[in-house]
Amino acid sequence: MPGELDQLVSAARAGDEDAFRHLYRTLQPGLLRYLTALVGADAEDVASETWLQVARDLPTFTGGEFRAWAVTIARNRAMDHLRRQRRRPALSVPVQELSELAGDADTAERAGETLGTEAALALIASLPPREAEAVLLRAVIGLDAETAGRVLGRRAGAVRTAAHRGLRRLAVLLDQRGATPAPDDARTDTRPPRRAGLPPQAEPVDG
Amino acid sequence: MRGLLVMLRRSRRADHERLLDAAPDTRPTRAAPGPTGPLADLLRAAAAPARERELAGEEAAVAAFRAARQPDAAVPAARRPRHRFTAGAVVWIAGVVATATAGAALAGVGLDRAGPDTSPMVTSPTAPAPRTDDRAPTGEDTASPTGAPTDTATSVPARPPSASVPPPSASATPSPETSGYVGPGNSENTTDRAGLCRAYLAKPERQREKALRTPAFNELVVAAGGAEHVEEYCRERPGADAEPTASPGG
Repeated sequence: MPGELDQLVSAARAGDEDAFRHLYRTLQPGLLRYLTALVGADAEDVASETWLQVARDLPTFTGGEFRAWAVTIARNRAMDHLRRQRRRPALSVPVQELSELAGDADTAERAGETLGTEAALALIASLPPREAEAVLLRAVIGLDAETAGRVLGRRAGAVRTAAHRGLRRLAVLLDQRGATPAPDDARTDTRPPRRAGLPPQAEPVDG
Repeated sequence: MRGLLVMLRRSRRADHERLLDAAPDTRPTRAAPGPTGPLADLLRAAAAPARERELAGEEAAVAAFRAARQPDAAVPAARRPRHRFTAGAVVWIAGVVATATAGAALAGVGLDRAGPDTSPMVTSPTAPAPRTDDRAPTGEDTASPTGAPTDTATSVPARPPSASVPPPSASATPSPETSGYVGPGNSENTTDRAGLCRAYLAKPERQREKALRTPAFNELVVAAGGAEHVEEYCRERPGADAEPTASPGG
């Protein structure tokens, strides 16, 4: 997998447009999901800024883990964005909203999965920021703890601990979900007033 | 007992590491079963394959790639010369004012210093200035795509392009100390401006205002034309922030 990515990167650096396209398709979903946890509904804008910079700075990429390079750009763009917005990261999602989301077509379509992608991401985004970032970089972007640590400017051990705590918290959240009535009931009972930190594109459309 | 607990904790940590490692790998195929359980499902769902709407920006990204590879990618830069010009003018005026006042102040110092011609390199700011001026408009948006990142972008035409202006009190004006203090004319300060911007933007909101009153950020204030413009000024620099062209791509 990393070898394949490296080939794509060097082809793209040599000007191969298809290789760049392939890179985009490989990395964009993870970047967008990570960015959604950081900046909420503005993730798409930040992601396109990120790709502009990736396209522009590709010649200066000097090797190493391309994923980490791209995700570092994305993170910087997100932090700039947040500063620009003068607001705090949209990292908290009221838990009731998740039951609503869990009922989406996403779930229905992928039988056998208890959670849809949006709901899973929303659950992760409800963690404390450090833990959410650690979990997303490890599980969704696919970085190892060392690389994720480099992106976050922290030690690998700290990333492992944060991810571990995050997963523990997620397990508890999942337990609670299991104890509550089925998603359909929850949807009619506790309709949240508005879907705060969630992206508007969170409708259950599937590709 | 405690040892057992520690062991349990460790093994759970190791489980978690496995789960985290496994989640992205299960993306393409479901042939291999992988770890099971609600947590594994959740991570797998979070790392599920791309949905079409997630790739909506593909053409925009590829267009950016194409544009960055064009030999002269300077076309869209033409959009912002006016701003460039005003920024340049502000710096220019600030430079003149600062030089004038510093000149007066230094005239006194110059007396007991005796030597007016201690500063040959600073006396001729004319030579470098026009060149940076040329580069600036093109460098703004698109020259950096071709590979020269911060340096070109930071070059605000800092010095008055005509040599005739500076010395009101001809003898002592362009001494090294003055330009070091005044900032805007000095090329090494200019290259550092993106760094200053980054440092400024990295500060928490509450500390920014205070930071601008410190000498370290003085140059930024001058270059931006006032403390209240610094943020905007820094946002415009490619080295410190993204270009505003980004958003419509979406």
